[in-house]
Amino acid sequence: MNAVGRGLLLAAALLCACQQHDRGGAAAPTLKISNVLAADQTLVRALDATPRTLDPSLLTDIPAQHVTDDLFEGLTSLAVDGTVIPGVASSWQVSADGRSWTFHLRPEARWSNGDAVVAEDFVYAWRREVDPKTAAEPAPSLAPLQNAMAIIAGKLPVSELGVVALDARTLRVVLNAPTPYLLYLLSDSFMQPLHRPTLERFGDDWVRPEHIVSNGPFVLADELTGNRIGLRKNPRYWAADTVRLQRLIYLPFEDRSAQVTRFEAGDVEFTDSFPGAQYHWLKSRLGDQVISGPYLGIFMVGFQMNHGPFAANQALRQALSMAVDRDILTQRVRDGLYLPAYTLVPPLPDYQAPEPAWAKWSPTQRHAAARKLYAQAGYSTAHPLRVELMYNTDPDNRANYEALSAMWRANLGAEVQPYNEEFRVMLQDLQLHKPTLFQDAWIGDFPDPLTFLQLFQSSHPQNYGQYSNARFDALLTAAGAEPDNAKRVADFAAAEQLVDDQAVCLPLYFYASRHLLKPYVRGFQINVQDRNLSRYLYVLEHSGS
Amino acid sequence: MGRFIIRRLLVAIPTLLVIATLAFALLHATPGGPFDSARRLLPEIQKSIEARYHLNEPLWRQYGRYLADLIHGDLGPSFQYRNTSVNELIAQGLPVDALVGGLALLAAVLLGSLAGVVAALRQNSWLDYLPMAVAVLGVSIPVFVIAPVLILVFAIELHWLPGGGWSHSPRQLVLPVAALACPYTAYVARLMRGSAIEVLHSPFIRTARAKGLPERSIILRHAWRPMLMPLVSFLGPTFAGVLSGSIIIETVFGLPGIGRYFFTGALNRDYTLVVGITVLYGALIIAFNLLADLCYAWLDPRVRHAA
Repeated sequence: MNAVGRGLLLAAALLCACQQHDRGGAAAPTLKISNVLAADQTLVRALDATPRTLDPSLLTDIPAQHVTDDLFEGLTSLAVDGTVIPGVASSWQVSADGRSWTFHLRPEARWSNGDAVVAEDFVYAWRREVDPKTAAEPAPSLAPLQNAMAIIAGKLPVSELGVVALDARTLRVVLNAPTPYLLYLLSDSFMQPLHRPTLERFGDDWVRPEHIVSNGPFVLADELTGNRIGLRKNPRYWAADTVRLQRLIYLPFEDRSAQVTRFEAGDVEFTDSFPGAQYHWLKSRLGDQVISGPYLGIFMVGFQMNHGPFAANQALRQALSMAVDRDILTQRVRDGLYLPAYTLVPPLPDYQAPEPAWAKWSPTQRHAAARKLYAQAGYSTAHPLRVELMYNTDPDNRANYEALSAMWRANLGAEVQPYNEEFRVMLQDLQLHKPTLFQDAWIGDFPDPLTFLQLFQSSHPQNYGQYSNARFDALLTAAGAEPDNAKRVADFAAAEQLVDDQAVCLPLYFYASRHLLKPYVRGFQINVQDRNLSRYLYVLEHSGS
Repeated sequence: MGRFIIRRLLVAIPTLLVIATLAFALLHATPGGPFDSARRLLPEIQKSIEARYHLNEPLWRQYGRYLADLIHGDLGPSFQYRNTSVNELIAQGLPVDALVGGLALLAAVLLGSLAGVVAALRQNSWLDYLPMAVAVLGVSIPVFVIAPVLILVFAIELHWLPGGGWSHSPRQLVLPVAALACPYTAYVARLMRGSAIEVLHSPFIRTARAKGLPERSIILRHAWRPMLMPLVSFLGPTFAGVLSGSIIIETVFGLPGIGRYFFTGALNRDYTLVVGITVLYGALIIAFNLLADLCYAWLDPRVRHAA
């Protein structure tokens, strides 16, 4: 893919040169958009990869989630701005201890074959999810539900899961602990209902267009793996009168540059992303058609805390963190696409991570402090730190590490050598805890600090740096059991303070979602989860290109 | 001739077995597994998934299971596309590659041969220099440059043709076929020029000229068959290559061919998919080399008599 990317860039550069001459880089000068709805409500969206399955209980990839967000609807759904709203459930009550939730299903909710969506459909789907026989990768996401983990481990039968259908339209969900983000979880694919008769009749083939029965705003019309996924409006969807798109086509791409090309050719109207390195060039060429905004993800560098130069050397880790000029990294290297990060958790509606004081210092002041810590750690120009930094083979990443290496050399005199490994080789090395300095990144599952902080829990499978701190673990456990949200947030803030003070990881920048969107496609609003349901999108009458 | 074909087909069986074994062994030796992901799985789930795909069994048993399925023509389930079998993916992708690759090779053979033969007949004139200069360009510019440039010019700027996609519209075929045909046309032109010059200087053509035959009938009756010999040896493996997909063309134009599956399959350690496509490629190479040998016999009496 490297080669493809290079070719596209070269071609792009050629075209850019001609274009600037011709029309000064102006975007889409011949497009005329009127204020009335287009007669043909068809939208073509791109996907970053071919979905691995459209079974909502099994999928783990984001492209598949985009499609199932249109095909299915959980107890809750998402508004255009990404906030949670009622879905199949029209209302709910929570018990005083926050552990028992009662959901009332709307009577007008229907499956695409006309059957009513009932509470039992959720019970069936969730039990299937945690059943070890299903081998569903996202099953641990149901962990807040009572007994879920024991069922996944094969220690209890699926009937012990904390969910009961009180009657056809009432569902009781019992949790291990109050879970304020439950409503977000309920909108996710792995919590969407399933039409039991269809699954029992067709087995693994139930997701094929000829068999599938779904309950979302759209139904699957046709699918050719690796080529296109065609959807059409579901007239039986309970809010069908608010859905304007009649047809929706998803085209999967393995290469982000190809999405850009097809967008420019007019074959795609809404891309899933674009190569980060092309941001500046696209912005100058396509103007407002380039959309980006905060995304619930963090890009960082991880330290091995168990062996190597960073273990038991907090001063060294801090020195490395303070010597990084994040403004230069985000503004110059990444063209202003991302926001600099000084904390692990991105800004959230109810939570603002405590930023370290040095984040506001001048570069000179910061570098001086970093050098002091570097010396304190036992290193100097005569005896520099020599270490390798492992990252995943992705041309988009390379510039980051070259810049980091240069900053550490200039500001500290450290010799950090970046080297890359193919993604799965890197994962294996991380699981074996081989690298001492490595690329790390995380996309949050829901807008809550827990999804980021748990990465450093000593028992977490993804704790590649092997950080282990009893107080940190205790704070997260306390926050997990805390019904009072203010106290919960305070526990999280204390836990975060701990990892930030000890420089357990080196946050670089918060991710940004990035799309190309034709100006005649409306109803889009950027949101931190980057889940953009097609039920809100519509097409205006337009001519030209 | 019949015995020759049967012998070649019999040799093909152990060859394919070696290919399958090597591909299987190499792929299992690469670090990382098909179900490793950025989100590390719980050990319990990892176990259930491995049991589902028999990955928990010893390697020799997995291999035995794979071979038994292979003999029955079943290439197994794809690991990365959960509800799809490798047979289905190949059945979907092969016709796409056959159509695009077949048309590209057809264009390459027709245009390239014409340019090559004309260049040989008008050696050292502008009819030789110009096409050969273009051919050098065509051979040296990689497809990953030609394809995006074609899209930029014909799809983005001029809006004459779609920039890719696959919905059986002939218009969508034009750019991928043209991009794929470019290097092949250039190569065939160079090949045919060399071959034509060699044949036109050989003793039997000199004899024909001495007999006073007109140039037209020398070419159309005597020279064309031996001229095609190098082309045939080129086309055999090349056709097998295009049938198993061009990763770049498929990626740039968004075609659902098997080259893309092969590429993503290798990255995602989709063992069955990659071994399946490798075996298919091996079988195609064997089949087309056999076909090329049969064409030799038809084109060249010396080969026929030696057989």
